[in-house]
Amino acid sequence: MFSAILWSQWKATRALVLVVTVLVFAAPLFSLQVAYTAFSPVQFVSSMQSFGALYSIMAAVAGLLVALSAWRLDHAGHHVYALALPLSRARYAAYRFTAGLVFLLPIAVGLLIGCLLVAISGLIPDGLHAYPIALTLRFTLAALVAYAVFFAISAATNKTAGMIIGVIASLFFAQYLLNVFAGNTYDILEPTVNFIFVRPGILSVFAGRWMLVDA
Amino acid sequence: MSHAIETRNLRCRVAKSFEISDLSMHVPHRAVYGFLGPNGSGKTTTIRLLLGLMKPTGGSVVVLGMPMPERHAEVLARTGYVPERLHLYPSLTVGEAIRFHRQFYSTWDQAWANELMKQMQLEGDRRVGVLSKGESGKLMMLLALSQRPDLLVLDEPTDGLDPVVRRDILAALVEYVTDREATVLISSHLVHELERICDWVGLMDKGRLVAEMPMLEFKTGLKRLRVASAPDSLSGAPFTLLVRDRGNGSVEQWLVRGWAPAMQTYLESVGASLREVIDLDLEEGFVEMLRASRQRTG
Repeated sequence: MFSAILWSQWKATRALVLVVTVLVFAAPLFSLQVAYTAFSPVQFVSSMQSFGALYSIMAAVAGLLVALSAWRLDHAGHHVYALALPLSRARYAAYRFTAGLVFLLPIAVGLLIGCLLVAISGLIPDGLHAYPIALTLRFTLAALVAYAVFFAISAATNKTAGMIIGVIASLFFAQYLLNVFAGNTYDILEPTVNFIFVRPGILSVFAGRWMLVDA
Repeated sequence: MSHAIETRNLRCRVAKSFEISDLSMHVPHRAVYGFLGPNGSGKTTTIRLLLGLMKPTGGSVVVLGMPMPERHAEVLARTGYVPERLHLYPSLTVGEAIRFHRQFYSTWDQAWANELMKQMQLEGDRRVGVLSKGESGKLMMLLALSQRPDLLVLDEPTDGLDPVVRRDILAALVEYVTDREATVLISSHLVHELERICDWVGLMDKGRLVAEMPMLEFKTGLKRLRVASAPDSLSGAPFTLLVRDRGNGSVEQWLVRGWAPAMQTYLESVGASLREVIDLDLEEGFVEMLRASRQRTG
């Protein structure tokens, strides 16, 4: 059963996986091309650091796209076909989830190869080191987290997805009202963002330094 | 009599203005049960409830002896389902869709699937997404039959298909039922189509099961009578008076169920005079039953 689901998902996802894999493969090489023109190791590191956010965003986007494509076929058919298959809902969702995980692998491998090419290029200034495996592991972990979050949201009903969006919108609206009526005294957004993105927040893997080359 | 499908007081609110209410239906084992009703009467919702695709708000469903939706995986392993619309993955080819589907059924009969593919003239390398409505219907039927199910649930399987495709699909169905003695629940609003193949009939209207009876009883026991000098009220009638149309003259038109020629003596005993007994075909019977039901419920 899993192989059938894996196959169907592969057919629906492969073009997307290919594009994302090429992009993540190219990102470290592009960052090296830009940083190579630096005059000093400090500038080199600084230039490489400016690409840190790009890896974080690419991990989130990879997770998002693979998660959406995992359910795309079933959403298109209003889940009727999937629900009529003779297996439990939990098992079906687990198969879909696992199949999606498999498709994150080529993306991670693409990044690893790009990073390894940078590491062995001989273009990194003396005294600096490349960390291709650490960056790839971090990227993979972040992509997994994004995938799990978006998979769950995508699997939920429109009502649930609407509630999540509603909660986020309510936070912004509440902050707006506080600014209007309490004059910037209270900030509820920053603690919320910190709660989520600062360690040990569930999305903290996306924050911090994403360095391919460092001292 | 044991039943392949049995519901008791099944309820489900689908929208503010529509609900399945107190639905109690009984599909006997090895019957071909025609599930009739106009569009929007609740046939598809009922089928989804039977198969555990939706959760009822009340009542119970037992399919193949197992409660639903609690044991839906076991029931669905023995059930071939052809939904109202094609829901297969459009990026797969016909061959891939068949290979995908068969992975889920231990009873899958590949030899028969190949044979059906030839019979139905389906090409294995065509993408599901570009199939015509007729080809989609045939593919869904092929998938359902090749599972070798004990129960076939077909939701408007021939709706919108041309007569040739419709005939192919029904022929495959009849062949299967004859061969396997499976139970079939087939919904349709095309009354004539079901007349030839069904031995039981259930009639849905506005979320309620209006009538359920053997097809023979439906076809032979439903009559339109022209009666003169009938009393205002009838007591102890051996038939069921469904509709009484007094008209303008002295001759009334009655729609009755359970009519037999010997019952004429009852009419004479109450002072009425039977002028004519009119046979109704299935479609007329279907329309009259709906009319009677709507009159009763206002």
